[in-house]
Amino acid sequence: MTTTIVLQQAINGVVLGSLYVLVALGLTLIYGVLVQINFAHADFVTLGAFAAYFLMHMVGAGYIVSIGFAFVVGAVLGWLINASIFTPLRRKGNELLPLIATIGVSVMMQNLMLAWFGPIPYAFETQYSSQVIRFAGIFVSWQSVIIIAVSSVTIALLYAFMKFTFLGKALRAVSQDRETAGLMGINPNQLIMLTFIIASALAGMAGAMLAPVLVLTPFAGTSVIVKAFAIVIIGGFGNVEGTILAGLIVGLVESYTTQYLDPGLIDIVVFGLLLLMLAIKPTGLISERREENV
Amino acid sequence: MERRANLLSRRTGLTLAALSIIALPLIFNDTYWRTNLTICAINVLLALGLDFILGYAGQLNLGHSAFYGLGAYVSTLLIVKLGVPFWGAFAAGVAFSGLAGMFLSLFAVRLRGHYLAIASLGFAVIIYQILLNWISLTQGPLGIYGISPPPPIAIAGTLLVDFRNLTAFFYLVSGFTLVVYLLLDQLVRSPVGETLTAIREDEVSAASLGINGAAWKVFAFGVGAAIGGAAGCFYASFVGTLVPDAFFVTEAFNILAMVIVGGMGTLIGPVFGAILLTLLPEVLRGIGDLRLVVYGAALTFVVLFMPGGLAQAARIVREKLGFGGQPS
Repeated sequence: MTTTIVLQQAINGVVLGSLYVLVALGLTLIYGVLVQINFAHADFVTLGAFAAYFLMHMVGAGYIVSIGFAFVVGAVLGWLINASIFTPLRRKGNELLPLIATIGVSVMMQNLMLAWFGPIPYAFETQYSSQVIRFAGIFVSWQSVIIIAVSSVTIALLYAFMKFTFLGKALRAVSQDRETAGLMGINPNQLIMLTFIIASALAGMAGAMLAPVLVLTPFAGTSVIVKAFAIVIIGGFGNVEGTILAGLIVGLVESYTTQYLDPGLIDIVVFGLLLLMLAIKPTGLISERREENV
Repeated sequence: MERRANLLSRRTGLTLAALSIIALPLIFNDTYWRTNLTICAINVLLALGLDFILGYAGQLNLGHSAFYGLGAYVSTLLIVKLGVPFWGAFAAGVAFSGLAGMFLSLFAVRLRGHYLAIASLGFAVIIYQILLNWISLTQGPLGIYGISPPPPIAIAGTLLVDFRNLTAFFYLVSGFTLVVYLLLDQLVRSPVGETLTAIREDEVSAASLGINGAAWKVFAFGVGAAIGGAAGCFYASFVGTLVPDAFFVTEAFNILAMVIVGGMGTLIGPVFGAILLTLLPEVLRGIGDLRLVVYGAALTFVVLFMPGGLAQAARIVREKLGFGGQPS
């Protein structure tokens, strides 16, 4: 009986964790090339969720198509935020200003969504939520299977892109040393834009898959993003492997805290872990050469 | 000569500030505006505390709401549960917040920039969740009701000041805020201010001059957080109700917005930033939900086009009008 519960919660944790990974990877990619934080990333998650919701309910599209649509919406938002906020502020070379500007954008977007969609939570249900596979006393919904499949394929593609393609290598070169990469004939501005588009598309897509789990209101993204920040730091800022590992850990911690302690304690445990990590090993689980902030 | 002119203008400024504090509740004599004035004064206090940490010591603190909330809850719980007199509880709330700030600064000693920003954000999330979930102590989301205002001041049985009166409460908070402002003003003009600026600009060079960066960060966080705690104590006794949601991390962003819109690293800027951003949503109440959209847009545009905030705008206007060259 207990092993069943442990296994069941492990599956729930991995499902949740893989979505956190998608959100956190975006933050970490942006941090890698730009050493900046995008607070509006949270609202890209929310807007992705709403985009998928309205495509399903107004157009009658299928869930998988809607996830793809949320991906595109996220990509457009990423292009917008880089063109309007980060590009103009980059010349000032300040780490605080873009952070605050994106807090402003986030307040703006949340309240625009509030005006359009209202404060009442939307019930985001897919036909896959109720279709359940059971084996050995464990329940897995098709929804969970889709989440794990889509996110692991996406993460694998991203990993392959970073490792094996010329663009991916150029991207890593920019995140290691922007000036030198520029000297090698790499245009950092285009790569930064590409990073923003990929990162935000991942957030939008994660939103479409998180929506059935979350309470879908205009403020839904905020709770996800604060956890994503914790994940990014626990994993080591700018480090892809560390982020994946930390995301899964946080997902598991969350599901086991819900099972054995109290759902109200999730954030306390996750952020307690974050502060502990910062106190013991501030470079994160897998440390890289970027240590100037530590 | 210039020093004397500065002293004179500071004296004029002080007189103007005192006069406007006295005059404001007399001009705005309805409950609604007097309430807003007191909230303004509380927010100015919050902005000053954060500005000291962020603008002067250069420490990226995204968790100021935690110190605000701790001050409010510690003082209120001491009054409600243990029957501690108001001013005793006030002192304890301020001290507790200051200690919490010093605790957080231990992270600031090792971390910088975005790492510290996320650590302080995490700290604020933890404090909020504790307030929300420790129901036996804080009553969680149900909140604490019927918190009394500070006790009236009476001499030989004659009532002199009754803080149930909105005007009296406004004078109390704004008087306290003015004193804090003057103390901070002295502090940042003293060698202490120069030391903090040196750490903000270049910690390594500061260390090479024999400045102990760690100790000064602890000091800056302690002072800024204690001021935030004082604002929390006033807030609780003014509003009379405490719910954890008042101290969610978005409140930290609001305080940050006040400092930035006003102009961080100046003391007068955040004062006007806090007043502007407290009153702006009230003035815009007519457009309903969209008022916070305007608020967000204002914050974004200030950062994009006037990163020095109101203080920078005032300096530009002064130079255009030909008063240029005055250091601020």
